Amino acid sequence: MIISVSDLSKHYRVHKKEPGFLGSLRSLFHREYETVKAVDDISFTIDGGELVGFIGPNGAGKTTTLKCLSGLLYPTAGRVSVLGFTPFDRKTAFLKQIALVMGQKNQLWWDLPASETFLLNKEIYEIPDSEYKKTLNELVDLLEVEQILKVQVRKLSLGERMKMELIAALIHTPKVLFLDEPTIGLDVVMQKKMRDFVRAYNEMHKSTILLTSHYMEDVRQLARRVIIIDHGKILYDGKLDQLVKKFAKYKVLSVILESYVPPDKLKEIGELTDYDFPRAVIRVPRSASNVAAAQILQKFPVDDLNIEEPDIEDIIRDVFTRKP
Amino acid sequence: MRYVRIFFIFFQDAFVNRSTSFVWFLLALFNPLIALLFWRGAFQSGGAALIGWSYQMIASYYLLLVVANTLLMPHIEMEIARRDIQMGMLSNYLTRPFPYLLLKLFSELPWRIIQTFFAVSVLLFITIGLRVNVHIAQDPFLLVFTLVIAAAAHLVAFMFKMVLGLSALWVTDFGGLSEFADVVIIIFAGFVVPLALFPQWLRPIAEASPFAYMIYYPLVSLLGQISIAGMIRVLAGEIIWFSVLFVLYRVMWTSGIKKFTGIGQ
Repeated sequence: MIISVSDLSKHYRVHKKEPGFLGSLRSLFHREYETVKAVDDISFTIDGGELVGFIGPNGAGKTTTLKCLSGLLYPTAGRVSVLGFTPFDRKTAFLKQIALVMGQKNQLWWDLPASETFLLNKEIYEIPDSEYKKTLNELVDLLEVEQILKVQVRKLSLGERMKMELIAALIHTPKVLFLDEPTIGLDVVMQKKMRDFVRAYNEMHKSTILLTSHYMEDVRQLARRVIIIDHGKILYDGKLDQLVKKFAKYKVLSVILESYVPPDKLKEIGELTDYDFPRAVIRVPRSASNVAAAQILQKFPVDDLNIEEPDIEDIIRDVFTRKP
Repeated sequence: MRYVRIFFIFFQDAFVNRSTSFVWFLLALFNPLIALLFWRGAFQSGGAALIGWSYQMIASYYLLLVVANTLLMPHIEMEIARRDIQMGMLSNYLTRPFPYLLLKLFSELPWRIIQTFFAVSVLLFITIGLRVNVHIAQDPFLLVFTLVIAAAAHLVAFMFKMVLGLSALWVTDFGGLSEFADVVIIIFAGFVVPLALFPQWLRPIAEASPFAYMIYYPLVSLLGQISIAGMIRVLAGEIIWFSVLFVLYRVMWTSGIKKFTGIGQ
């Protein structure tokens, strides 16, 4: 087991102020505070080589958890162990084996080529020359960035910069990689390239990767296991395909009608979520999907009918809105 | 050798931004030159006769002040407060196996060297080109000791600026605090007038403050106005102030890091 989290909590004390000048005056004499539970008593373990997707809406606690795991944040309560270390001790041996990549911030020098940041990290991580050259060549080949190694960072596109960020973060070949929104702001082509790289890197080095992303496609393409977090609590931890069975209490009947049927008639079958004649989409309870399909075929002029699993993004949205 | 290589990598970053260095150098240049113009007027009108300093000494003081300022006074506090703490870039340092303090020291030193290059160039132009006589200590031993005092002065100033920058972990309006610190440094480090010319009641306070050890003492040592015994006392004072500031830094770092939330990251 590479990562072990038990009963982890991270709470913040936030100052509350009433709006307006009077509120400012009042807060001078009497400050009100509120405790925000960014992470609230969560536990999970991750084995070596796993690539786990961390999903949650804004403010769910994903990044806070990642920061606790990488030693950036001091937990309010609970125990965290990464590679046998307590992250917040930030021991040199620990820091040499991890990397944290945050999509919205960078460590590259703006006015120098990215290769200078790689050299700095080589010295900081005390990487021998031969190992440095080998790793750099491997990463440069994987990310196809040889042509831009000597270009000033400020002149690179966002996607190119993100690739360089990854090289800077991986130059010491970390055993554990924390990726926080690595594809944020990138176009779909670049998002795919980044996903391909993360997958290839995980397979090549058997490194443990914990990934957060707003893009479901990132998680769907990369992670077999997902942890869903909301309001600081874990709602689901398991395989992505199991998520459908556990939370999708309904199926989707996609119907192509031969002739027009009033919506009210279709609503008698189940929840009509979309109707744009000739296509209608009806949600029905999972256990009643076969019966509902038979009813549709009997009652209406049907050209085609499909029974489908709901979209994974819909399931997750339902999990967050608590109406599975 | 590892530290030397790290220093040279940081040097490249500072060198590529040499125009920024030049602007900072101009700031360091103008204030002493304006003060010198004021003193020139005062001497010409006879109003400065009672201070006990010759015009040559005063001119030397302000011209060397430009070099001392560019070489010894770091400007790291704003970057620590705004970029590292308030924008969350400190996260990048905390996840790397190298002390934050040393990275800041290595990143700042090249800026000092480049700005000092500009300052020394101007000083040489004034002394050789304009034939202005700048008085410095003649004894080689005093000059070597001055270098030691200057190195220690930089460390005192560096630690003070580190502590000042880290205060952003607690203070929301860092700008106000920074402005206040700047004013205190300008007065008590000897930027306005030499501390020897301060009123009697204020002089002991100014001379005992850490700010005097950052600029004033190395400067008057270079001018040859301090004896060997005095220099040893200055060095002892620098060691004491460095130790106090270092302990304060450690306390602030240890407790502040627990407060750090990486906002902006």
